[in-house]
Amino acid sequence: MRLGAVTMGDEVKLAFDLLAFISVMVLIVLGLGIIASMMGIFNFAHGEFVLLGAYTVYIFQSSGWSGWAGILAAPVVLAVVGLVLERLVIRRFYAAPIIAMLGTYAIGLIIRESVRALLGGQYESIDEPLSGVFTLLGFNFSVWRCVIVLTTICIIAATWLFLSRTSLGLQVRGALENPNLARACGISTSKLYSMTFAFGAALAGLAGALIVPLYQLSADIGTRFLVQAFLSVMLGGVGTFEGPVLGAAAVGGMAAGLPWIVIPVLADPLVFVIALAIVKLRPQGFITQGRL
Amino acid sequence: MADKRPREEASLRGIGRRRLMGASALGAAGWVAAGSGWLLAPKEAHAADPIKMGIATDITGAIAPSGNADWQVAQFTVERINKGGGILGRQIELYLADTASDPKIAVGNVRKLIQEHKVNVVLGGITSAMRQAIKDPIVNRGRTLYIYPQLYEGQECTKYLYCTGPTPAQQCNKLIPYLIKTLGKKRFALPSANYVWPQLLNKYARKLIQENGAEVVFEEYYPLDQAEYSATIGKIRDGKVDCVFNTIIPPGLQPFMKQLYESGFQKRGGALACVYFDENLLNFLPAEEMDGLYSCLDYFQAVDDPFSKQLRADYDKRFPGTKYLFTAGSASTGIYRGIKLYEVAVKATNGDLKREVVSAAYDKAKIDEGPGGGAEVVPGHMHCKMNMYIAQCKVEAGKPRYDIISSDKMVDPKEC
Repeated sequence: MRLGAVTMGDEVKLAFDLLAFISVMVLIVLGLGIIASMMGIFNFAHGEFVLLGAYTVYIFQSSGWSGWAGILAAPVVLAVVGLVLERLVIRRFYAAPIIAMLGTYAIGLIIRESVRALLGGQYESIDEPLSGVFTLLGFNFSVWRCVIVLTTICIIAATWLFLSRTSLGLQVRGALENPNLARACGISTSKLYSMTFAFGAALAGLAGALIVPLYQLSADIGTRFLVQAFLSVMLGGVGTFEGPVLGAAAVGGMAAGLPWIVIPVLADPLVFVIALAIVKLRPQGFITQGRL
Repeated sequence: MADKRPREEASLRGIGRRRLMGASALGAAGWVAAGSGWLLAPKEAHAADPIKMGIATDITGAIAPSGNADWQVAQFTVERINKGGGILGRQIELYLADTASDPKIAVGNVRKLIQEHKVNVVLGGITSAMRQAIKDPIVNRGRTLYIYPQLYEGQECTKYLYCTGPTPAQQCNKLIPYLIKTLGKKRFALPSANYVWPQLLNKYARKLIQENGAEVVFEEYYPLDQAEYSATIGKIRDGKVDCVFNTIIPPGLQPFMKQLYESGFQKRGGALACVYFDENLLNFLPAEEMDGLYSCLDYFQAVDDPFSKQLRADYDKRFPGTKYLFTAGSASTGIYRGIKLYEVAVKATNGDLKREVVSAAYDKAKIDEGPGGGAEVVPGHMHCKMNMYIAQCKVEAGKPRYDIISSDKMVDPKEC
């Protein structure tokens, strides 16, 4: 109802704010969605992968390196972490997705509480490598939020091109569509799964590294977004690349937009109510399986 | 509240030995395994025994930085008293209970202070949720004096529970008229974290804002970990708000402050007030977001009376390079005040540590010096008069600091 009072200029600003928060959501959901779609594993440690990405930036910053170095290092560190975890733990659970959830939850718990101990339970501030605002057409735009929006667009484009245009992407899609046939064609699905998991973890790490300057580093930074991220994947539909991205856009848009219309404490629950209603009407998600 | 106490004190003083034994055994039934003989032991036999002081604070968990500062200030204060010969020749022994930023864990640990260590007084608790959780095990079931040191929302009028931090009246009565009359701010926004302190503080602030001829454009409550405030910032802009009276706390604080700053609110001349901001917050947020912010507390490090300056220097010497500062917002000043008032009270009772007797003396206790100045308990009101300071954050060469804008002597807490 307040939207009626908004002028033209405010609409630009509102659109930018929505876009910035949607980008944050998409960044976080992307890795989760890819692992869920390609491997059928709901990775409950995803929030902690985001946390580890943020923590990597903190380590770099506190040892005197530039923030950029931390942001570049975070996906690499997380890819290694993801690879090791997949080899040691995750691959034992492919046949049992429910147990995989519990297993990844346990991994997440270990990571979260270890980081909490390392941080001494404190909140830490991380500076943006590019801070401040710039003015365009009379509006203030946060530089770092623009960086996040642009990075998100680039990552979506790159990931989509990788999956749809490269031969490795074709193998990944093949393994998703029909693992047995893919193996029969000489594709090593186990190697593909390792790489997919590492890739998903790397995306989570990058997300954590990029968003932490907007918030504060604490052990719970990932859990805050995890449930909404799962909701996004559910809303968008498992088994596709675009689905979770659209789901994240919808959830992020609602989370940022609803406080305009209802009181803020109601906004969070309302996001879930609306999303669940949509899922009820369209159980397969926005995008049906196997389109990619 | 106030009219009840003298009567009960009188009846307790006149109580017979046998009746007291019965009463204490009854009160202790079910939780003191070793019986309650210690309550009745003659005072003389214990003349040189130490006084046992319990500190219940958040050493771990979300607000560990404040809890650790409180613990260090307690050690610092007690060491000073002990070095000067203790209280009437008796040393103070400190016992620590970690309340772990979690009321569920806290209750068990605080019980230990009382049952195992049999402390004579407990100081501590930072959040209101924590105070509510531990006051019953301390005051009612534990029959122990409890001193709560943090700035808070007021309305805590439990017998044997003294509050040594500032109340809404002390924090707002000068600050809000200053914002309105001196700075000329007319349209207030009250963005807040959704829990009891902001709710009750806002109720008080709203009344003052309206009485002073300004208006509240909106008062909103957010989940504590809200990550996105664009709607709030939009309402601040649309509503032509010129003063934000913020009670959002971490972890929701950082995104709010960033988005408010990025919206250009301060650049357009808007004033921002956060009455819990102390020196700890200076390094918590980027300097530019803090620039120009107003706070109102019982002590800032910029307060330059000789005693406050010496106290700060001594503390820094005792804990060189510590990251746990001696500040007002983390309840450290309340801890210092609480311990020193207890010293005064025990001296007044001539070493009698019985709760009723110490409490009666605490009710009239007064100290002449402390961080930011002296303090005195308002008799019958469970709260302290203290000096209050309005300060503004200034950034120079990227370094933020508080400058004192005005100070008021012995402000009344107006509680109970």
